[in-house]
Amino acid sequence: MNDPIVSVRNLSKTYMQGKIPVHALRDVSFDVDKGEFLSIVGPSGSGKSTFLSMIGLLDKPTTGSVFIDGIEVTKATDSDAPRIRREKIGFVFQHFNLIPTLSALENVDLAMRFARVSKAKRRERAVELLTQMGLFDRMNHKPSELSGGEQQRVAIARAMANHPAIILADEPTGEVDTKTRDMIVELLHGLSENGQTILIVTHDTAVSARTKRIIRMLDGMIESDTKVEGY
Amino acid sequence: MFDIIFRNITQRKLRTGLTVFGIALGIFAVIVMGGMSEHFNQTFDRSISLTADKIRVFPEIGFGGGNLNESKAREVKRVPGVADAYGLLQAALDPESLGFFGGDVVIGVEPEKFPSLLKDTKLSEGRFLTVGDGYRTVLGSSVAREFNLKAGDEMQIKSKRMQRTSSITHARNFTVVGVMEYTGSFFDNGVLIPLNIAQKFYNRGDTVSFILAVPDPNVDAEDLSKRIELNVENIKTFSPEQLRKQIEQSLIVFTLITISAAVLAAIIGGLSVMNTMLMSVSERTKEFGLMKALGAQTRDILYMTMGEAAIMGVLGGICGIIGGGALVYYLNDFLASKGTVLFSVTPRLLVIALVFSILLGVLSGLYPAYRAAKMSPMEALRYE
Ligand SMILES: Nc1ncnc2c1ncn2[C@@H]1O[C@H](COP(=O)(O)OP(=O)(O)OP(=O)(O)O)[C@@H](O)[C@H]1O
Ligand SMILES: [Mg+2]
Repeated sequence: MNDPIVSVRNLSKTYMQGKIPVHALRDVSFDVDKGEFLSIVGPSGSGKSTFLSMIGLLDKPTTGSVFIDGIEVTKATDSDAPRIRREKIGFVFQHFNLIPTLSALENVDLAMRFARVSKAKRRERAVELLTQMGLFDRMNHKPSELSGGEQQRVAIARAMANHPAIILADEPTGEVDTKTRDMIVELLHGLSENGQTILIVTHDTAVSARTKRIIRMLDGMIESDTKVEGY
Repeated sequence: MFDIIFRNITQRKLRTGLTVFGIALGIFAVIVMGGMSEHFNQTFDRSISLTADKIRVFPEIGFGGGNLNESKAREVKRVPGVADAYGLLQAALDPESLGFFGGDVVIGVEPEKFPSLLKDTKLSEGRFLTVGDGYRTVLGSSVAREFNLKAGDEMQIKSKRMQRTSSITHARNFTVVGVMEYTGSFFDNGVLIPLNIAQKFYNRGDTVSFILAVPDPNVDAEDLSKRIELNVENIKTFSPEQLRKQIEQSLIVFTLITISAAVLAAIIGGLSVMNTMLMSVSERTKEFGLMKALGAQTRDILYMTMGEAAIMGVLGGICGIIGGGALVYYLNDFLASKGTVLFSVTPRLLVIALVFSILLGVLSGLYPAYRAAKMSPMEALRYE
């Protein structure tokens, strides 16, 4: 069959809180196939965010490796990491994390600037994505002039900008009401239908219920990995 | 990327304004102090070039200390290689002044030596002194401007004569017969009168302050200077080279003082940029973390932060140059009516000030930028 788009092998992360070691991840291994729409759930402190930041190269694991598209990204040097983040990863955060001084369009545009995409192409892609997110008429608004749901849609558009291999979303619906939550989940669902690989960390069972695979974490380990029927 | 830098700068108007003001003050000091130093250097250069060909002969005991008899000029002239030699008598125009930089000076000179002394300096009006002129004077351009005198006007000159323990001040009217063009040298502050009148007026008998010796063409001034010293008794010579060195030394001290004052001011400006940048960088910690998560490279972030600092530097530099230039312009204008000019804002100085302001911005942005760029994206994103 197809090679997995993400492979995690024996990943461990130990933080030092003063002199006390905190084992945020303990020997985690699993694969994600292309186009999968999966969620990671589990109690607070079980290591979900830590796990996401290892895949997204925001932090280095203590031991173990992550492969994306067959490349061992955990071996990437500090100078290679930005390129891998640009080309392979799209992040969506709980707090939207848009740059407050830039408009919606510019926020999406910024992600492509770092990838040295030409100005005309950047604009074309940003407009296309924001239109797809239903924000065509909000493009020139600053984040402070947008609702939470709109901001998160801008963030999703930004995550998509460089055609990433995988989108990593850490509690993307943590700060919006249920109606907006449903809309965001539908949006992500739609993207996954088009072949986009998406990994969501969530506390919300209504969100995980929409995904096709649920990984449950506990104390830094995978407690269960359930594929939903019909996939 | 430039539009983002620009956005960040304009977003925080008050803070940017204060920072730019800090730099502007520093560069302002560079322009004013530098302008002063440039002016003295220029005056010195022009003055030297006007008298570069002549050897100065002083009495052995030192500048103006001993007495130098006029007859020594004839002895100097007899030394082989000397084309001409003549004495000058020098006195401060204002007897109360200490004769510091820029003060007006009365120079007694034999009228027939004018062409040798002043080279090709022209008159803007009137005539030079001629043999037989009495209480007549030719003025330097700055003196004429200071006292608002034209050819034909009368000028009162004072002299202070020591008589045992007390001094008596005499005053005399001199008729202005000519005014010299602006030369940029110390002759602009000169009041030229006939030597014999000067000796009488200042009660100096037949002594002079110093003698100028003009070497024959193709005679080396340095050699000749030594030969004069060997051949004529009780005198000391200053070759053009020695004179240049002597003045250069005192100018270096002056230049150092002015430049260090200016640099100090500019460094304070630099610190204000550094402070602002540190603040704005730590405020945007999360933003930089996010940019890294989006794939920004270290150099992208360096470029953004350094660019911000550099632009503030340039803005400050431009404001400082305009402010300093304006002050210098008005001060010069004002001082000109008092007979002096103090500042020259040369192109060289402008370039230095601008380069300095950019450097200042960049250097003081360096550390904050480095801090922003080196942050781990994870840490930065967790930062609240
Ligand atoms: N930078 C850090 N330094 C020290 N300890 C950390 C750090 N980041 C996470 N931890 C610890 O690691 C464990 C896992 O944290 P993590 O943020 O991954 O949990 P989580 O599952 O995302 O929780 P939540 O649902 O509350 O977001 C926690 O005990 C946390 O305190
Ligand atoms: Mg978390």
